[in-house]
Amino acid sequence: MDRAEVEARVKKVVSRVLGVDEDMITPDSHFVFDLGAESAQSVQLVAAFEGEFNIEMDNDAALKVKTVGAAVDFISRYL
Amino acid sequence: MSVSSVGKSAMHGDVSPSRSGLQSIFYPRTVAVVGANATPGTVPYDIFHNLLISGYRGTLYPVAPGKASICAVKAYRYVLDIPDKIDLAVIVFPAEVVDRAMEQCAKQGVKAAIVISAGFREAGPEGQQREQRIKAICAEHGIALIGPNCLGVINTDPAVRLNASFARKMPDAGRIGFLSQSGALCTAVLDYARDKGIGFSKFVSFGNKAGVSEIDLIEYLHDDPATDVILLYLEEITDGRRLVETARRVTRGPKAKPILAIKAGRTAEGAGAAASHTGSLAGEDAVCDDVFRDAGIVRVASIEELFNTAIMYAYQPMPPGDRLAIVTNAGGPGVMATDAAVRCGLSIARFEPQTTQKLKAALPATANIKNPVDVIGDARADRYAAALDAVLADPNVDQVLVILTPQSMTDIDAIARCVCDVSRRASKAIACSFMGAADVASGVHILQAAHIPHYILPEWACRAMADVQRIRRWREYQLHEPHRPQVDRQAAEALVAACPNGYMREDQALALLKTYGLPVPEYRLCTDAEQAVDFAAQIGYPVVLRAAGRNIVHKSEIGGVALNLRDAHQVREAFADMTRRLAAAPAAALEGVLVRAMIPAGTELILGARHDPSFGPVVMFGLGGIYVELFRDVAFALAPLDAHTAAALVRRVRAVRLLEGARGLPPADIPAVEDSLVRLSWLAADFPRISELDVNPLIAGPAKTGNAVADVRIRLGR
Repeated sequence: MDRAEVEARVKKVVSRVLGVDEDMITPDSHFVFDLGAESAQSVQLVAAFEGEFNIEMDNDAALKVKTVGAAVDFISRYL
Repeated sequence: MSVSSVGKSAMHGDVSPSRSGLQSIFYPRTVAVVGANATPGTVPYDIFHNLLISGYRGTLYPVAPGKASICAVKAYRYVLDIPDKIDLAVIVFPAEVVDRAMEQCAKQGVKAAIVISAGFREAGPEGQQREQRIKAICAEHGIALIGPNCLGVINTDPAVRLNASFARKMPDAGRIGFLSQSGALCTAVLDYARDKGIGFSKFVSFGNKAGVSEIDLIEYLHDDPATDVILLYLEEITDGRRLVETARRVTRGPKAKPILAIKAGRTAEGAGAAASHTGSLAGEDAVCDDVFRDAGIVRVASIEELFNTAIMYAYQPMPPGDRLAIVTNAGGPGVMATDAAVRCGLSIARFEPQTTQKLKAALPATANIKNPVDVIGDARADRYAAALDAVLADPNVDQVLVILTPQSMTDIDAIARCVCDVSRRASKAIACSFMGAADVASGVHILQAAHIPHYILPEWACRAMADVQRIRRWREYQLHEPHRPQVDRQAAEALVAACPNGYMREDQALALLKTYGLPVPEYRLCTDAEQAVDFAAQIGYPVVLRAAGRNIVHKSEIGGVALNLRDAHQVREAFADMTRRLAAAPAAALEGVLVRAMIPAGTELILGARHDPSFGPVVMFGLGGIYVELFRDVAFALAPLDAHTAAALVRRVRAVRLLEGARGLPPADIPAVEDSLVRLSWLAADFPRISELDVNPLIAGPAKTGNAVADVRIRLGR
């Protein structure tokens, strides 16, 4: 899976979980500051990424990921 | 929402930048809640919701990325997107992004910010860095910052009605300003106050005080026409000197307002808990007690006492004296109240003959017509009214305490209404204690609604009245500027400069005391026995030998003191013994032996100075020698001292009675002790390198004979 595809699927997940338009989401978007993620939603995001990509991530490390671009990098390590 | 009326009552005149920042906190025309969300029960939602439902008179903007609206109010993604100038940003984002939010606030031109979020200085080094970052942004852009790590700010002024907090309910308007370092305590206080019908003018949780401090807020409330009394809950004093200066200004003069404070961390354990809560260094609690007293701050022990005193002050006229009349329907509580009043420092009024005549005419024969007046258990409202009218008219009465116990024939509500009527007519302070709980509840509500201070126990009423008397006496007390006595500062500077950090050798410490005019007996540092014998002959026998060396601190424990040596032979023997003993204690490097005359017996005192982490140089006075640790009968004051404060300091310790000549002892030379205290205080104030100074003991001789330094320990450097 190339990076562009991972990014596109990450954006879709983020849009669905946080309820924000996809066109608001860029690699630089900070989950909290730019997209309004609440603390409970961070956990939901991690679970949704695991489901989307069929992977199991280190949860503590995953929760430290702050931006969409960093999430793409982080997930790519499991693919 | 209209913006035009907001803050008109308070927006006036030429204001300094910090004051205009504080105006933007309390009277903002526009508020942005930065980081709001749509989940009820979370801080970001509740803050926005509270602002909305409190009836805020300005314009409110939620900043909630990804949300179209919050509570049906259009939301903005960034504070920069708001098409309006923002006076106040309430930042509720998690700590990790508060700096980004603050940067945008700065670009937006926001004038003030309240950072509610936790996760800053109180959370360790990473949090400390975060706090430094937001502090720097605010400082650079002139943003007045409350918090972080706080509950928020409430202003009940109808001109603004601002509840920028996550307290459950907006309190009623009142004349009390409340400032708290603890946010959680605020919610408990609000609930407590609501139950007692107590209202607030301003209510501020200032948290980590990264920007606006309790001192800035005290100054603001001093000028606030809606506030009569300032209450403070403090865990950490960061700028003790400024707090003292501000408090002295605020609590005195034509616009005087009392400051009542809880300073938490009274015990060593509590101080440790506060230190880990706030990341501060704790000073000795007794220092805080005494310094607050000298600053006019009434330090109280509990939330109960804080409000007990506040309502007594805020609701009733200031009594011109401490004479109390008690009117009760039960003898026992009257006696208890009398005991409590006297213990607290109030006096029991002696009635004029006309008053006892009036009471005799109005009350049954079994009543007690002397103070405390007992109107007897079957008293109804008319009997209370007659007794109250009589005692209130007495010129020897400054204030009245009304006690009621609920007996079968007691019409509690009628008596409560009667007290309200009498109070409306009277120009003297009245407090009540309707003892009990369930039966007296409705009567208590009648009193509270009429702003008659009510206390469950008469003892609490007495304590509150006594606190109000402390406030009155403080206003009447004349403050004096300290003046430096004649000292040889240049010589002192040379001595201090020549010594490395650590304990000074005794001869150097004595020399330093001498430059500031302390009563140091003649001495000489001798390096051999013959020198010691020569000097002893010069000053006359008996003499004392004392081992001297920089790291010799506890001399007597290592055999480094020889007393009452009466001739050359004894001096030589003692010298040889001492050098031999100290040679066997390699940790104590002997640099010489100090020889001085034996000081005649007298009262042993301690005069000390410390560098307190909150207040800087402070002086200590008390009973010296072994009694210091046994009784802790010591008192503190800020250095430098003026002569009046030195005199007051000496009289603050119980041992002053020994100095005054108790039980046939000759009175000591107290003026000489006061003079030594003033000189020592200047030494401590002039040399910040002195971290610890103990003259222990200073031996106070009989009147007009002066006193003498028998031992001294001075440590340089922190």
